[in-house]
Amino acid sequence: MIRRLPVVAALAAAWTAGAWFLWQSKVPSSLRLPHVDPHRFFTAAQLHAASSYSNVDEWLWAGGVVVQIVILALYAWRGERFARESAAGPIGTGMLLGMVGFALVWAAQVPFSVLGLWWERRNHLTSEGYFSTVFGGWLGLGGEFVFLCASLAVIMGFAQLVGERWWLPAAPVFVGLALLFAFIAPWLVPTNPLHDARLRAAAVRFERAEGVAPTPVVVAPVHRTTTLPNAEAAGIGPSRRVILFDTIVDGRFTERELEVVLAHELGHLARHHIWKDVGWYALFAFPGAWAIARATRRRGGMGRPAAVPLALLVLVVLNPPRAPAAERDQPAHGSGGGLDGAPHDPRPGRRDRALPPLRADDARGAATLDVRLPRAREPSHARAAHRDGGGVELLRHVGGPVAVERRVQAAA
Amino acid sequence: MCLNVGMDEHPVRLAVDDDLQRNRWTVFFRLILAIPLFIWLFLWSIAVVFAAIANWIATLVRGTPPGGLHRFMCSYVRFTVHFDAYLWLIGNPYPGFMGEEGEYPIDVTFPQPTAQRRWSVFFRLFLALPALLVASALGGSSGGSLSFVGGRRRYGGGAGGGGGALGFVVAILGWFASLARGRMPKGLRDAGAYGIGYSAQAAAYLLLVTDRYPNADPTAMLDGVDRPPEHPVRLVGDPHDLRRSRVTVFLRLLIAIPHIIWLALWGIAVIFAIIANWFVILFRGTPARPLHRFVAAYLRQRLHVVSFLTLTANPFPGFVGEYGRYPLDLELPGPAPQNRWETFFRIFLAIPALLVSGALGGALFWCAVWTWFYALARGSAPWGLRNLAAYALRYDAQTVSYLLLLTDTYPHASPLEGAPTPQHEFAEALAA
Repeated sequence: MIRRLPVVAALAAAWTAGAWFLWQSKVPSSLRLPHVDPHRFFTAAQLHAASSYSNVDEWLWAGGVVVQIVILALYAWRGERFARESAAGPIGTGMLLGMVGFALVWAAQVPFSVLGLWWERRNHLTSEGYFSTVFGGWLGLGGEFVFLCASLAVIMGFAQLVGERWWLPAAPVFVGLALLFAFIAPWLVPTNPLHDARLRAAAVRFERAEGVAPTPVVVAPVHRTTTLPNAEAAGIGPSRRVILFDTIVDGRFTERELEVVLAHELGHLARHHIWKDVGWYALFAFPGAWAIARATRRRGGMGRPAAVPLALLVLVVLNPPRAPAAERDQPAHGSGGGLDGAPHDPRPGRRDRALPPLRADDARGAATLDVRLPRAREPSHARAAHRDGGGVELLRHVGGPVAVERRVQAAA
Repeated sequence: MCLNVGMDEHPVRLAVDDDLQRNRWTVFFRLILAIPLFIWLFLWSIAVVFAAIANWIATLVRGTPPGGLHRFMCSYVRFTVHFDAYLWLIGNPYPGFMGEEGEYPIDVTFPQPTAQRRWSVFFRLFLALPALLVASALGGSSGGSLSFVGGRRRYGGGAGGGGGALGFVVAILGWFASLARGRMPKGLRDAGAYGIGYSAQAAAYLLLVTDRYPNADPTAMLDGVDRPPEHPVRLVGDPHDLRRSRVTVFLRLLIAIPHIIWLALWGIAVIFAIIANWFVILFRGTPARPLHRFVAAYLRQRLHVVSFLTLTANPFPGFVGEYGRYPLDLELPGPAPQNRWETFFRIFLAIPALLVSGALGGALFWCAVWTWFYALARGSAPWGLRNLAAYALRYDAQTVSYLLLLTDTYPHASPLEGAPTPQHEFAEALAA
């Protein structure tokens, strides 16, 4: 152990240096955030309804996490028996066990998904049907299976080649895959050109101001699946672009509001937040893979299919689903990794939370006030900053988009 | 791979006493000659609607179908069998109009009226639906016309006859073959007879002639029919392994997705390998061994995945198409000399086989669907559907092997497995 100490110390130092580097951000000195008092805009009853909404949402989240961990713990204990349903080799059998584990978790989550949907529908946050939620999720599970199988093929393949130290070559492979997905992500979404000439001109203006290379601004047709407005910056290098949901350019928002959104997204690109997201992912991929390797040693290591159910449990314990409040406060997609304390999220290009329209006179809408109020009137990072106890801390890391937005607001 | 495990014989039995000889003139004008039979079938079907309702009520009350109505139904189903056999060229002579027993080379025998469970009688229309859907894929105007009776015409060919996809393909291909050779190919004849037999069993079940559910096992259906010669491409493995894991059955489609993607990627490489092999065979007369091995592994993998997907086999397959690793496996010939002309025109020559394979694909789909429900409930696959699926998979493997230049032996459409030594009748047919 003592002999390994220098190596461990060097690795810890390298990790810390990487984290410090990624943590850095510039905050404009002129930034002054306005204080918004919700009581000025909403009644006490509306604020209470909003609070109730959050409470139920969080209970559902907590229940879902507990059930998920219990199911995976049981699966880690008894899941090995499914190996007899495989005629494949160790890797193929591992894939089968991984898929069955995921499917069991999905099945256990269905009641929570249905309840969550009921709650959202009751609060007029979505019009999605129960059937499409359950069966759409079932089909989505197929996509997850593909990624799971590819991941297990990499892990188990390396485990069979190099034994317990599989995590050393596997982690870079996953980082490479994350980079690849960050690159191709914009092309996975069907988009149309942006027809609004004024918005296009504004984008060019912001690009020049921030020194961002010319970036396509496109519109994703999503109005058939949601009414919630949203936008995202996605891609790296030649693939990067700003994607506006067609629900945000449908006339509900003023040109100025849209310019703020556009500036916000370009701010992500200007500050290389998607690269940083991949960087955070890389920082957590190594220790995460190492932890799985350590945990599964008693099952013979990841070269054996029997270790897969346990590896799934470790994975979920290390990376639990995010709490609704944390997700709501998540300020940005590309930069989310460094902002909300979940830098291990392997999904570069995550979308910003939706920006539902504010309807202060709508008592039912007030039930979701904590979601709606800040989003409709404030830049999301600024909101995250002053709602959160550590607002200043957060703000330090989101200087990019905020800075651009401030300039836009000042210009306006 | 379609063995009889000693199930009780189905009370509705098909009898095939056909010499494969066809009269070219009556074959050429078959559709026109069948017009009176069409009209008669249509009229009879209308009468059967009312008779079936009366029979249903009487059976619910008495527990046993009345003798007169039972005979009426038997005659009707037998007539549809004769009619189908004539229309599809499964039989040669013109059939009678009364559906009398023993008058036609493709015939069917029925049981005497016996007591039936009332709840099964009450729900008969719904219980028969899966069998009618399989029958609609295999063919048989009895299935089709009775679908009409049930007000669900979309499931079958309708009262006018015609039958399902397999029957239609058999009729079209058989028409050309019979005109050219004066004989119906045995494979097509057997396939058509099997479809007719299954449809007759489905119709008999629906019309309360029997309460035994149709048995899709081809070996049991064509018991007594000569087996074809052994094909170099054949299924091997344990057909009695009917156990199915409920969890993996429930998730089967999703779990198979990685395999489907892998197969698609592998398929791209196979296209180039086939093109290369095509040139090699044209020049050398024999496939290149590495290419042959590569394509053979792909084909084996394809069989494993489709078997898994359609619940014809239980375990999750591997990814390399290794021989002997999967309970349902494929024996393929090694690289052997092939006819250059046949190789040159292979893609065109394969079209008839592809049509039959496509028709059987419909039956395979329904097998998979019903096996899914059955396996979820019982934890095992039904023997009959499993063997029908194995037949469809075997024919598909033979077709694709032919298309992918693994063999130049044409697929054999008979639902029966090949015998190592061809039996008397078929040996003569080959000689002819």
